[in-house]
Amino acid sequence: MNVTHDLSFLSLITNASVLVQLVLLVLLLASGLSWYFIFGKLFAIRAAISEADKFEDEFWSGADLNNLYQRVSSGRTQVVGMEKIFEAGFREFLKLKRQGRMDIAVIMEGTRRAMRAACQRELDALEQHLAFLASVGSVSPYIGLFGTVWGIMNAFRSLANVVQATLAHVAPGIAEALIATAMGLFAAIPAVLAYNHFSHDVDRLATRFDSFMEEFSNILQRQANT
Amino acid sequence: MPPTDRKEPGRKWAIFLAILVHLIFVAVLVFGVSWQTREAGPVMAELWSSLPAPAQKVVPKPEPAPEPRPEPKPEPKPEPKPEPKPEPKIEQPKPSKVDIELKAKEKEKKLKEEQKKLEEQKKAETEKRKQAELKHQEKEKQKQERLVQEQQRESMRQQQEATNALARQQASAQARMEGDYKGRIRDKIKRYIIVPPDVPGNPQAEFEVTLMPSGEVLNAKLTRSSGNPAYDNAVERAIYKAQPLPLPPDASLFGRFRELQLKFRLNE
Repeated sequence: MNVTHDLSFLSLITNASVLVQLVLLVLLLASGLSWYFIFGKLFAIRAAISEADKFEDEFWSGADLNNLYQRVSSGRTQVVGMEKIFEAGFREFLKLKRQGRMDIAVIMEGTRRAMRAACQRELDALEQHLAFLASVGSVSPYIGLFGTVWGIMNAFRSLANVVQATLAHVAPGIAEALIATAMGLFAAIPAVLAYNHFSHDVDRLATRFDSFMEEFSNILQRQANT
Repeated sequence: MPPTDRKEPGRKWAIFLAILVHLIFVAVLVFGVSWQTREAGPVMAELWSSLPAPAQKVVPKPEPAPEPRPEPKPEPKPEPKPEPKPEPKIEQPKPSKVDIELKAKEKEKKLKEEQKKLEEQKKAETEKRKQAELKHQEKEKQKQERLVQEQQRESMRQQQEATNALARQQASAQARMEGDYKGRIRDKIKRYIIVPPDVPGNPQAEFEVTLMPSGEVLNAKLTRSSGNPAYDNAVERAIYKAQPLPLPPDASLFGRFRELQLKFRLNE
């Protein structure tokens, strides 16, 4: 083994064995994707929360539900989050009511189902890539560790041919192997943090959607009775 | 209601930020951690067998500390000899006149003798003292002389060293020049060698070349043949053709060039 003392980062990577390089590549991809999802989710969830705040303000300000529905369903803006639930529920409610001669319980049941479906869809969209973050967070340390173990194995195997083993013979190999672990941790730590943070945020949004659905059904039920 | 293809908000921003994070990470790895354990590069050093002369002069040789001069031993002062006491006169029963006279004479004699003795003693003492002083002075002188001699020797040694160094330098320069000119001579001769065709292997011919101060070749003698007469002849012809051979301008060096042992290898 050619013992080079030049441990510059690039030369360490280029001197690494193919498998370690592969591991590094996989980890880099995983890290890149996870960071992309992290930022994407960050923006999406933040937008969903602010949108829910805005809609709740508007909804509870006592505006007429028909006007609200007209504005939401006009299709000028993309409808997401709580607005979507409202739109789906109100549309179903109006459809069922227009048919007439229907039991109030049946109307409410249909409306609730429609809202639940919309809510599930919204939550699914919000949670779309969280699973990926979770798996990157849990798996990438192991991938990195695998690369490290492989690299260290190689380093020690090359030591077998050397009569006088010094630390300088193993050091480059171990250093290049440890880069894999570092890479894995770099990918995993933000992914885990982001996963926990986002799943918590999504849970809170889900409960907000749920409570909104209950309250909205109450209002609709009152309206249906009149 | 079909699920509409929703647009992720801030997709471009997410990509941009993800790339930014990775660039920062790589930058930290590359620049933040000093991965460098590069050994110091090779250092060229000239080895001198002796220091150049001027440098040596600058370095002041620690003068041999003047030896603490042993204090001149206080000369044991000659103890003042007890003055011979005048002998107590013994009152004797007055003898006859003759006796008295005799005695008086004797007394006088004695006194004189004593005086003489005293003088002699004094003389001896002064002599002794003088001698001691002389000895002392001489010792002092010798010591000083020794010191001076030592200093002289020291300075001479230094001078000699300096001259030695100079000589060595000159010698090395001369040797260098000699090698240089020998190389030139060989090169010049080699240029004139017309290698005969089909010379097998890599023959080497050795010649003893006798030169004249003008660079002319007086004689070229084959001392060891290459085993190939054609090559030997070619070299000999080249030696004569290469006249005049380059010689150092310093004529005093010619002694080393009077007779040269030159080796000519075909492929060098």
